[in-house]
Amino acid sequence: MTDDSDRLSRRRFVEATGAATLIGLAGCSGDGGGDGGDGSDGGDGGSENTDGSDGGDGGDSSGEPLEVLHGWTGGDGAAAAEALVEAFEEEYPDMEHEFNPIGGGGNQNLDAVVANRLQNNNPPSSFANWPGKNLQRYEGVLGEADSVWEAEGFEDVMVEEAVELHQYNGAFRAVPLGSHRLNCLFYNTSVVEEAGVDPDSLTSVSALIDALETVSTETDAVPMTHGMSGTWTTTQLWASTMLGKEGYDPYMNFIEGSPDEAAVQSAFESVAEILENYINDDASSIGLTESNQNIIEGNAAFIHQGNWAAGAFRNAEDFEYDEDWGFKTFPGSEGMYMLHFDSFLYPSNNPTPEKTDKFMAFAGSEAAQVAFNQYKGSIPTRTDVDMSAFGPYLQETQEDFANAEERPPNLQHGLGVDSETMSTLNDVISSEFSGPYNVEAATSGFIDAVSN
Amino acid sequence: MALHNDDTEESGDAVTDGGVVEEQQQTGFRPIARLNERFGSDFVESSQFWLPPFLLVGLFVYGAIIWNVMISLTDFQGFGTPDYSDLDLEMYARALGDSGFVDAAVNTFVLLIAFTLVTLAIGLGLAILIDRNIRFENTFRTIYLLPMSLSFVVTAQFWAWMYNFNNGVINIVLTSIGLDRVDWIGSPDIVLWAVVFALMWQFAGYAMVVYLAGLRAIPDEHYEAAKVDGASTLRMYWRVIIPQLKGSTISASVVLMVFALKAFDFLYSLVGGYRPPNGADILATKMVREAYANLNWAYSSAIAIMLFLMALSIVGPYLYYQYKEGHL
Repeated sequence: MTDDSDRLSRRRFVEATGAATLIGLAGCSGDGGGDGGDGSDGGDGGSENTDGSDGGDGGDSSGEPLEVLHGWTGGDGAAAAEALVEAFEEEYPDMEHEFNPIGGGGNQNLDAVVANRLQNNNPPSSFANWPGKNLQRYEGVLGEADSVWEAEGFEDVMVEEAVELHQYNGAFRAVPLGSHRLNCLFYNTSVVEEAGVDPDSLTSVSALIDALETVSTETDAVPMTHGMSGTWTTTQLWASTMLGKEGYDPYMNFIEGSPDEAAVQSAFESVAEILENYINDDASSIGLTESNQNIIEGNAAFIHQGNWAAGAFRNAEDFEYDEDWGFKTFPGSEGMYMLHFDSFLYPSNNPTPEKTDKFMAFAGSEAAQVAFNQYKGSIPTRTDVDMSAFGPYLQETQEDFANAEERPPNLQHGLGVDSETMSTLNDVISSEFSGPYNVEAATSGFIDAVSN
Repeated sequence: MALHNDDTEESGDAVTDGGVVEEQQQTGFRPIARLNERFGSDFVESSQFWLPPFLLVGLFVYGAIIWNVMISLTDFQGFGTPDYSDLDLEMYARALGDSGFVDAAVNTFVLLIAFTLVTLAIGLGLAILIDRNIRFENTFRTIYLLPMSLSFVVTAQFWAWMYNFNNGVINIVLTSIGLDRVDWIGSPDIVLWAVVFALMWQFAGYAMVVYLAGLRAIPDEHYEAAKVDGASTLRMYWRVIIPQLKGSTISASVVLMVFALKAFDFLYSLVGGYRPPNGADILATKMVREAYANLNWAYSSAIAIMLFLMALSIVGPYLYYQYKEGHL
């Protein structure tokens, strides 16, 4: 009995200790949560004005390495990122840095990681993303890059649209690295020759549809290859069709929130005609890579894509520009360059403000833009770059870019509409326009999505 | 047990002053004694073992769930901190008015029911066949169970290739026997069934193992008695054996249903993104899309809570059943 009770009191002691530890533990974790909340409040405050980044500037004595997140992991993207890092190391041999590629899901994984880190007030030094309306979703967590733009004189050397689209709420939030073009039509030369189609003569969407018909009757090839395991390819095809068939103003009205229903519907009708009759049977189970492969292997005549597709052509063996594949501005949109930017965004509450400034200045420099873009298959956003390092296709693209009458922002890659609208547009494509193609429902869905 | 004193009835007046009352011998510490009286003899003494995990789980699981409920009542989106001062059910109303949500909920439900039923049926069939003293029994068992050991990421890629319209093995087989190709992934009416089939392939082995264990637990006498009474094999299974597999069925179906709710991984890997093919969107993919693509934290929390309630409505009755049967 005594033995028993003796043991008991010891037990009780253990109990008390355990309980105390637990209470302490709970207290700690409670504190931790509270701190986190406070921290993100601080981030908010910082981004509303210059105070936050100024304060950060002063405190950059920490040995934190520069950390840059990007999503260029596949094929030419990885090579381009590598070239960028090399050029950066040449410029800043002593700066510690981490370039972290987060690939997969067409930037979805990168976006998720960035969103989480910004949400937890643990921003990287900089991350790759699109400027334009896309900046809206980072409301409150982006700092200012005004000093970089000013010090480097970017406003004078970047194309005017870049200057405009990298500002949000009255300040520069990002620096452009390169630009892709979206209103592109690529073709396999031997297939179009076999069909007797002259791509350069296709200057309207109806001419394109006639050409597709010719290809389908004259050859065994697929007239137009399309990979739609994701909806984005269809959304961007619609955007190019809208621009090519209806013209610049209706396209811009759509993006700016006052769409013309007849124009939207007419663009959808053309896209439906193409998708119903002239694309590959397995479109819904393949993506961009396989779709591109159809052009490379001569199984298809045409493909609509941004000119990142050209990167795949360049990497293919024995597949040369002008001989094996060709480029045509998307029919009807001649003289226009549908814009896309790859940019580095500047998070507020920056862990390494000074290093980030240096990196941003570097990203907009000629050295960086040449190093990156020649591998990425895009072109510099600066107008004063020597293009001799680039291949003939990109040189032509750069000329088009410089001479374009209009450079409308794209619909699917962040510049034209904010990310929520873009997501709604893709919902509409997914539910109404990925076979069967319901023109009316898709039209009203698109109009509802963008209307203010 | 001796510590369980009888003087608790006398202690009607509150003694929860928290002071350390050191009473010697068999009376014990009164509040502790009362707790023990209320919850079982070792309630306090054993607390050092169950209390830490209890609190940790409480904080990180149930605390997180409650937090999630709170967020779903706010209008939190984008970056910053949620505003807890204005709580309402707006996000739930929005979900009910969102055709995308309704479609996803219906798909989730169909997937859940169809997948569970089909998998149980196939699993039972396999278990009965294997239980009939066939040769290479272990080999077959391993073969059937193997798909379950593979990750969704791997199996989704398998099936994406097999379902390919032009060169997928399924369509090649169909055309070689004179049938038309089927657009498994691309047609919204079929894709969900294609997903159900792929998941069934992966989990039928699991249902088989559970049923096999159930079958092995049935005494041979039952088979013999049925035989002696002149029952055909079919009748014997239908009337005698399968009714005894109720427990196996329930536990297997709970696990399968929970797997079905988690089909996110499979759909994500199938298309390499948060947006499954048209016709196969489920609540889990919709939730992740709303959260990370659109930063609609409150809305996606609301979807998460509804998904949680669905899971609870499955697991809840099971736990209650187990409790009633005395297994808990």
